[in-house]
Amino acid sequence: MDFKSVNDVQERLEMAGYIPSKEISTVVFLAAATQKPVLVEGPAGVGKTELAKAIARSLDRELIRLQCYEGLDESKALYEWEYAKQLLYTQMVKDRINDIIAHTATLAEAVDQIAAQEDAFFSDRFIQSRPLLQAISSEKPVVLLLDEVDKSDPEFEAFLLELLSDFQVTIPELGTRKAISIPFVLLTSNNYRDMSDALKRRCLHLYIDYPQRETEVQIVRLKIPGIEGKLAADLVDSIRRIRLLDLKKSPSISETLDWAQSLLVLQINELTPEVISETLNVICKYQIDMEKVRKNINKII
Amino acid sequence: MVNLIQQFVSCCRAAGLRISTAEILDCLNQLPLIEVTNELQFRATLRANFAKSMREINHFDRLYHLFFHEMRVDAADVMQSEALAEQIRQVTNTIKKKPHDNPMLDAVVDFIAGNPLEFLKEMRRIQTASDSEVQPTRFNFGPLADRFNILIQITSTTAAIAQLLQDPSLDVSRTARNDLAVRFTQRLNTARSILLYEPRPGDKNTKKIKTYEQRLKELGERPFSSFTRQELEEMREAIDKLVRKLKNNVSRRFAVKHRGNLDVKKTIRCAARYGGVPVEIKYRNKPLRRSRIVTLCDVSGSVWAAARFMLNLLYSLQECFDKVNSFVFIDDLTDVTAVFEHNEINEAIRFVLEEADVHYNAATDYGVTLRHFQRDYMDLLTKKTTLIIVGDGRSNYMHPEDAILGQMRERCRRVIWLNPEPEQIWGTGDSEIKAYMHHCHEVRQCSNVNQLIAFIEELVL
Repeated sequence: MDFKSVNDVQERLEMAGYIPSKEISTVVFLAAATQKPVLVEGPAGVGKTELAKAIARSLDRELIRLQCYEGLDESKALYEWEYAKQLLYTQMVKDRINDIIAHTATLAEAVDQIAAQEDAFFSDRFIQSRPLLQAISSEKPVVLLLDEVDKSDPEFEAFLLELLSDFQVTIPELGTRKAISIPFVLLTSNNYRDMSDALKRRCLHLYIDYPQRETEVQIVRLKIPGIEGKLAADLVDSIRRIRLLDLKKSPSISETLDWAQSLLVLQINELTPEVISETLNVICKYQIDMEKVRKNINKII
Repeated sequence: MVNLIQQFVSCCRAAGLRISTAEILDCLNQLPLIEVTNELQFRATLRANFAKSMREINHFDRLYHLFFHEMRVDAADVMQSEALAEQIRQVTNTIKKKPHDNPMLDAVVDFIAGNPLEFLKEMRRIQTASDSEVQPTRFNFGPLADRFNILIQITSTTAAIAQLLQDPSLDVSRTARNDLAVRFTQRLNTARSILLYEPRPGDKNTKKIKTYEQRLKELGERPFSSFTRQELEEMREAIDKLVRKLKNNVSRRFAVKHRGNLDVKKTIRCAARYGGVPVEIKYRNKPLRRSRIVTLCDVSGSVWAAARFMLNLLYSLQECFDKVNSFVFIDDLTDVTAVFEHNEINEAIRFVLEEADVHYNAATDYGVTLRHFQRDYMDLLTKKTTLIIVGDGRSNYMHPEDAILGQMRERCRRVIWLNPEPEQIWGTGDSEIKAYMHHCHEVRQCSNVNQLIAFIEELVL
């Protein structure tokens, strides 16, 4: 079931538990309508991966996720020949092979005979498909998430180009595979390095920043249903002020949610300097940051 | 619509955004799918197609605002805005017709008229211009003069417009005149602010990392001996981080190389165990080439600071090497390998400083040290060994015994001498570094952390 309009995207993502900004829903709608991949950038923890999950839920598609890392190569991302299986099969059908070449007169003839059977050994049966091949050979359309694509090597990025523009991959032994159904592709990046122009050109670009205050309060209330309205608002205000400090790692939405969750567990209903300073390790991930926040605690409340 | 987008793209290109034709096509294909009248959607579509990295987004937003808000006439009803646009055109054409010889004036007037292309082009040219020929004294006079020219043109346009609006021969009503004046002032202000406040796109996102790394870089340039206690602590942290990164690099390099290829020979050999059935599959795997390291560190006052960082780095990277043997010396050699192997690094360094059997009051003697090494430890040097000596080579006018270093060189793979003194004073006074130099494969100055790190990186990778 495809999206009908931008507003439709908005509603369905909200139903899937994700509150998108207008920009996010526009880009998602365009990507779905034009079958283009989306390159999502933004600070860590603003919900880039979550967006992919929400899209998968709202389209009722399977999510195939490929976590990228340095050294990721085709055999991990696309396909791999199952050598063990191939060899075992060869062993098992040894007699048959003998039958085939039993009536040949010369060695050359025997080789020709075997060559005629080659396809039996380089066939789908022996291919172990990895996420990318799975995504394009799936009967039902899927959502394909290439997470942290900036962490992969430039070679891998180049290899992605064929997939992203034509939705096909080339396996030397089998030829080119076209996608049976075109997946919805999302690439996320933390700006660890710049992606190549060629890759960027093939994608729609979406930058997700920290959300507006109201949106963030909404998100907190959606994800942590037990929280009181006032506490949620106070919490978001504090987080937004902490973001203004010059921290090594600013707290993002995931930290806000963690914080809200832990306040709920601790049964705290009001934010005081003591509460903040005691629960600070949920928000700040560096010692220096914590000290800085403690120093400025009066500004935060 | 096509024209509008095309104009906008030209402006973006003039201002330094790179937009390809394919992207324009994509954008034009997508526009019919959305509600073009909804600005949020319209902007999101343009942004998704034209600004394709975090750094370009601020830049794009500014241009978008300039082009679609400041340069547009949006009055309450279409007829009125049409009339206003016509009047603007009339005024600007009058100014343009006056004879003048400055192309910049045209650009400024175009800008006022709602066509910022030339102006942005000129700004871009100034921002990216570099001196084509090397001048004896460096000036940023060229760009400054260009900017000044634009400023003058803006001012003269302001004057011209003010004069024209006072002119009774202009066929415009009184309220319309006021309206025009407001608009022109707005646009002139915009032009001025573009000129004066140069945008640095995307500073917001990268600032923090920069300052932190900048600081470490500055620390890295400082000589070892001038660190305060706190800076020492900070440097140690930075080194820890660097070591982790280096280790990752090393492991990754070997992890990627030759992985996944089937080793037919080994597999068949292994299959023999199961009656020719290849149950276990063997893959090619290239073992690490690990070298042995022997370090000789001068720990007399002048050199100790460099030596401690070096030892710190070497022992943090111990798994990259087969074995690290370390010796410290002043007037005699002390084997401290065991100390470093069994203690945590900082503890070990403290131990060497305070408890090891080293005569800290003695005068440095390289000759005795080398003789001692030759007598007791020569068998440590093999074809796999890299010998690293950290020292200033100041032997207090005693026999340097450089011939022994020659013998040592013959036994090992590489001899590297790290000298914490600046290169200009090598060989002055009691420095024997020149005598040792021709026995070494490499002599490096190593007076700050950055140099040391560069060296270690080369050694490991």
